[in-house]
Amino acid sequence: MTTMLSTLRRRLSVLVTVAGLSALAGCSGVTYAETQLPTTPAPKPSSSAPAVPAPTCTNATQSYDPLPSLPSRGDITDASMRRIISKGFITVGVSADTYLFGARNAFTGGIEGFDIDMARAVAKAIFGDPNKVQLRVITAGDRIPLLKDPDRPIDMVARNMSMTCGRWNDIGFSAEYYRSGQKVLVSKALPGAKDLGLADLKGKRVCAPTGTTSLTKLQEVKGPVVVTAGTHTGCLVLLQQGKADAITGDDTVLAGLAAQDPNTVITSAKAITVEPYGLGLNKADVYLARYVNRVIADLESDGEWKTIYNRWLAGPLGPAPAPPTPVYGR
Amino acid sequence: MSAPTTNIPVAIPAGASSGAPAGQAPRTIAGSLSGGIPGARGVASRLLHGTPGRMRLFGLLGVLAAVLLGAISVNALLASQSAVERAANNSAQVVRNQSIHVDLLRADAVATNAFLVGGLESPESRASYESAMGRVASGIAEAAAAQPADGNALGVLAQRVQTYAALVEQARSNNRLGLPVGAQYLTQASAGLRADAIPIVTQVVKANEDRAKKEFDRSNSSLQLLVGLVSLIGLVALAVWLAKRTHRYLNPSLTGAIALLLVALFVTATVITGVGSAARDVSNGNYQRAVALANVTTAANDARANESLTLIRRGSGASNEQAWVADSKTVDATLATLNDSATLQDQWADYVDAHVKVRSLDSGGHWDDAVKLSTSTADGGAAKTFGTFDVSVTQSRDSAGKATVTTLETLGGTAPLIAVVVALAALVASWLIIRGVGQRIEEYR
Repeated sequence: MTTMLSTLRRRLSVLVTVAGLSALAGCSGVTYAETQLPTTPAPKPSSSAPAVPAPTCTNATQSYDPLPSLPSRGDITDASMRRIISKGFITVGVSADTYLFGARNAFTGGIEGFDIDMARAVAKAIFGDPNKVQLRVITAGDRIPLLKDPDRPIDMVARNMSMTCGRWNDIGFSAEYYRSGQKVLVSKALPGAKDLGLADLKGKRVCAPTGTTSLTKLQEVKGPVVVTAGTHTGCLVLLQQGKADAITGDDTVLAGLAAQDPNTVITSAKAITVEPYGLGLNKADVYLARYVNRVIADLESDGEWKTIYNRWLAGPLGPAPAPPTPVYGR
Repeated sequence: MSAPTTNIPVAIPAGASSGAPAGQAPRTIAGSLSGGIPGARGVASRLLHGTPGRMRLFGLLGVLAAVLLGAISVNALLASQSAVERAANNSAQVVRNQSIHVDLLRADAVATNAFLVGGLESPESRASYESAMGRVASGIAEAAAAQPADGNALGVLAQRVQTYAALVEQARSNNRLGLPVGAQYLTQASAGLRADAIPIVTQVVKANEDRAKKEFDRSNSSLQLLVGLVSLIGLVALAVWLAKRTHRYLNPSLTGAIALLLVALFVTATVITGVGSAARDVSNGNYQRAVALANVTTAANDARANESLTLIRRGSGASNEQAWVADSKTVDATLATLNDSATLQDQWADYVDAHVKVRSLDSGGHWDDAVKLSTSTADGGAAKTFGTFDVSVTQSRDSAGKATVTTLETLGGTAPLIAVVVALAALVASWLIIRGVGQRIEEYR
């Protein structure tokens, strides 16, 4: 019987050991499911549907008659202007990355350029101090919504803004203060880069900022693949990253881009549009428009316009031409 | 049930034939065995035949019950211990990934702030950016080694971080040349960081929080012990049955076995409940505190970066200011739930004061002054007040995180030793059962 017991015991100890081992195996057997990556919605393809055809008219550059002379601050009774005066500064929507027109100076952190000087000239006329201006950096697509906003987040836009018939339906403009035209900037790597026009860029990716007349024009041309970015500088980044082959925009803006990247060239193709720049205003601010038109007329007559032009644009574009002829009578 | 088959050699009639007198049941078995095996089934049925046979069967079941109780106890002890260990590892992984999150935002806050000032960045801010990115890089490698299940996600994160760093470098080199495209690269870097990289870190943190929570729950595996309890009841039933059959009320061996197993089960249950409740204390205490403080640190650094971005976007940063407000609410609400957070709350309030001044300067048209205050390291400046808060909140978080991991690591330490003792007790109990039942079989003859 003792032998039987001892054998039984031996068997049992084996059994217990096996059970113990399987228990151990059970403990270390926790495996975790792989950490999932967050799911991101697929980016919407940039809409390349042609925009609504722009309304046509003959008086896109026609603005309101300038005031006969600049009234002193105390004499102004217009509600919009009184609001600006009591605020103590004028809020102007500008670009911070349109080299030469409105761009952040990387060394001082300040924003400067042709458009900024125009804004400062208006501030100087109202307050006697060109620094009484609050520069608000906006994208091209922000311009019209912000001007239309009844809360008046901005009083004026000085951001290479083309005067068009369509835009006149939404906002007001000052008289034309600069004339530009739409051209193409391409990567030098493209064959025959120097002479390419927009129509030659079949199947190439061409970038234009959203909410611009350049984009509308680009969408009308058959052949190029439309790529969009928030700003022209955003387009330059895409080009440098190989996500775009060309950029279309106003020659002045393109000059600023070409100056930042020696691997690009503005083609010799003729400008496909005429882009008259005006200062954008709220549609109801007719008095302010007349006031600003007086300021612009004075800048042009006393030679200050040419000084501003030469300060920013003489380098890339040559000495100042005659200022554009303002059209009034709206 | 394979028990009958296993029984064949157990019968070992050789022992019985040598010592036992003839004419009893065992001898017949021996006889049948020596006279050629008619089949396992036949042997088994004869072996289990009659009252001694039932005693044998029930004795075997009793042994199995004792072994089961031992195995379950050992398993529960070791499971508790390793669950606590895994909870410690998962908590450490949560803390590690939260550090990556904070350092990414810190690097971005430094980079955007350097742009805000204009001109070339100071060597200090460059060094601070680089050390934050260095910590991110080594943090990702450590985290991937610590939890293989995170490997894939962290691999993608490493790619995104690389893209971010490359864009920041492009922004810097363009900025050095005075080209506005630099600012565009920086904007793209910041936006990409928040859209592509941060969500991955958040996901990894969440996955590890879930894992830690599961392990905290598993650390109390006392439910398994119910099986042990059932085994014990079975043994008592055996003792009662045996007593009725043999009219001998006390079987010392069997009673000893039951007592021994009862003690083993009780000790096991006590240890496991202790580990479980200690783990729950850590989970509700230091661990929760570490996680909460990490969320505060993250929200605070995100707020700081948003302050810079609001200024950089010069009037178009309304969405960044909204993000700042949301972050600030998170900081306030989270700090309010924590003990000993009065100092932190005061320090955060100092920064909020500075920020409010920055905003009022900016919306009042004094952008330059707003930038000066935002980057000022003088007393009351936003950079100074934020820096003070950031340092102390990070210290608090680190100490809470370390306390969590060290406490958890020491928690289950004695469990393996107790498991060995319990296993031995179960073996001894098995032996006692065999002895007790064997004694009765012997007496029955």
